[in-house]
Amino acid sequence: MLKQTLLSAAMVLATVPAMAQQTEVVIQYPYGELFNDTHKQIAEAFAKVHPEIKVSFRAAYDSYEDATQRVLREAITKQMPDITFQGLNRLRLLVDRGLAQPLDEFIKADKSLETEGFHAAMFDIGTLGGKVYGLPFAISLPISYYNIDLVRKAGGDPDNLPNTWDEVIALAKKIKALGPDINGMTYVWDITGNWLWQAPVFSQGGSMLTEDEKKVAFDGTEGQFVINALARMVNEGGMPNISQPDARAAFAAGKTGMHFTSTSDLTKTTDMIGGKFVLKTHKWPSVVAGNGRLPAGGNLGVILASDPKKREAAWKVMKFWHGPEGAAIMAKTTGYMPPNKKANEIHLKDFYVQNPNHFTAVSQLDLLTKWYAFPGDNGLKITDVIKDHMNSIVTGKRASEPQKVLVDMSADVQKLLPRK
Amino acid sequence: MADVALAREIDANIAQGARPHVRLRRRRMMSMTAAVLLAPALVLMALLLIGPVLAVLLMSFTDYQLGAPTWSLVGLENYIELYGDRVFWTSLTNTLLYVAIVVPSSIALGLGLALLIESGSTLRAFYRSIFFIPVMATLIAMAISWEYMLHPQFGLINLMLKEIGLPAQAWLSDPVLALPTIAAIGIWQLFGFNMVLFLAGIVSIPSHLYEAAVMDGARSAWSRFWLVTWPMLGPVTVFVAVISAIRSFQVFDTVHVLTKGGPSKATEVLLYSMYSEGFEFFRSGLAAAIAVVFLCFVLLLTIIKARLIEKKVHYS
Repeated sequence: MLKQTLLSAAMVLATVPAMAQQTEVVIQYPYGELFNDTHKQIAEAFAKVHPEIKVSFRAAYDSYEDATQRVLREAITKQMPDITFQGLNRLRLLVDRGLAQPLDEFIKADKSLETEGFHAAMFDIGTLGGKVYGLPFAISLPISYYNIDLVRKAGGDPDNLPNTWDEVIALAKKIKALGPDINGMTYVWDITGNWLWQAPVFSQGGSMLTEDEKKVAFDGTEGQFVINALARMVNEGGMPNISQPDARAAFAAGKTGMHFTSTSDLTKTTDMIGGKFVLKTHKWPSVVAGNGRLPAGGNLGVILASDPKKREAAWKVMKFWHGPEGAAIMAKTTGYMPPNKKANEIHLKDFYVQNPNHFTAVSQLDLLTKWYAFPGDNGLKITDVIKDHMNSIVTGKRASEPQKVLVDMSADVQKLLPRK
Repeated sequence: MADVALAREIDANIAQGARPHVRLRRRRMMSMTAAVLLAPALVLMALLLIGPVLAVLLMSFTDYQLGAPTWSLVGLENYIELYGDRVFWTSLTNTLLYVAIVVPSSIALGLGLALLIESGSTLRAFYRSIFFIPVMATLIAMAISWEYMLHPQFGLINLMLKEIGLPAQAWLSDPVLALPTIAAIGIWQLFGFNMVLFLAGIVSIPSHLYEAAVMDGARSAWSRFWLVTWPMLGPVTVFVAVISAIRSFQVFDTVHVLTKGGPSKATEVLLYSMYSEGFEFFRSGLAAAIAVVFLCFVLLLTIIKARLIEKKVHYS
């Protein structure tokens, strides 16, 4: 094992000097099954415009967790890729470790960015401590999926789908009453990084921590509303305790009336449904007008190369990947949407007219806010603590005392926050 | 160790008839040779075993985080945090529970099968290999097969239950069933190994003991087992128990593939906690502290084994 590792390390070192002519930029991205085709197509388009830069890929990361782990490990052995695509809530860790390179000098120097569809909100997502460290590549937002056939059968109005959790739960009861193997609704509460805990809290205008990041802030009225809603989904809506793939499979099989998850699932779910029933996507329920927000999911590109020449080449790659052409390829090959304005308004106009289900997320773009990452050394442990407490409600174990769960959850998270 | 014995023997042969001062020099040369011969093993042991263990021990007293440029000593803080961490206690209890289920069951199954195979006359080799297959299979791949068999909707096991009119179960997502299910897979993976060890033990029992027992009036199979087989298998049983316990303490693959410690930490076990603290939450210092706790348990088991074997749990 060790011998093999040493041998392959030696081989990697041996090949380095051989490719000095063309500047090489190495890219690594997550979820190969979703993004292999995307990055390959963008790379082909890029090669036509920039023959002086050679883009190569490493095998895709399995998940966002894997992506961060690998970069941290490679940082120790100094074998990081030049550009890495990471989960939007993982940027903070890379910045804290001093691995992500700031992009401000490139952004300031490049006057063509605005005409290429880059905009302030886009930079904002990758900004930490006043500096831009990453550009969002593939964005997802939480939306509602409806099985219109079941909605009709239960006496719901397909043109007047629920807009609040009260209406959702009322409809879930009616759909569930249709048969013993029918689920009223499924809420994918366990998406990585507490995404669907943050989404409903932010949609109420709440936040995870106070402004100074010293105290838990999700224990206020917003959090109470959300934890109650989650318990009601279980108690009144009869939500089953099943895993993410099972919930998707059940919905696609026509056994679930309403499904609440990310837009990134849209292409896959639509394919799985085939023509079995009419699928309609709808906006996220109970978003408070004014200060209600939704966290952006998905991934962003980060430059890790510290060598100035490499960094400059890497920036050219980043600009193309996140520019109108790259963004349009990404949108068409995945279910994600691009944050690039020009891509959405010009390159993808017809696409959205033909695929109205894809437009639901785009219509929510104004609500976009950061996928929050908790501060300090225990940041990732905190997400696990929140997940466990939410799980205690979904399994039904503590579904009768959501307020107590919230109190415990706040106390547990508070203990893990940095004390300084 | 064999090297040393050999060196000594050669030493003794050569020394015969040699003059005293030559003998002394030869002796010194010989011990030098022994040291040189031992060196590779010792260096490797220091590098691959003792070194890492010391590094882990040191790391458990620091606040090191994976990939962090700096670290500082924090004394016992990681251990204090573990002491106050509910997840750690759940994890420890689950591991002990897992060991408590898997060890006796896999020993009983292994012994039972070994006795059955040994008493039968046909297809012995066939049964031996059939039951040994789970041991040879890659556990990760097998865990994925189990995942399909245990699938709540179209899994083989639930389909069979439905066929005979029993309700289907959510084997891996029901907090009450998840750990026993993982333990059942653990037993399935381990009993074949135990069976082979017991088979070896049974074969080495001298047949005259059985003959003597029969002459002394032990007519039934049970009394022969109780009077001869079981006591003679004493050392094998101790060995099997300790090895099974150590292997059960190491449960990780099935948990990682099937449940990720869930639902609600119902299947969280020590090695999985270590993995998630170290490689998911990047709290390497804390992960090292869990590793030290784990090492203590394994060390304890090893000491018990050494003591019991020293006491000679056999009657020969």
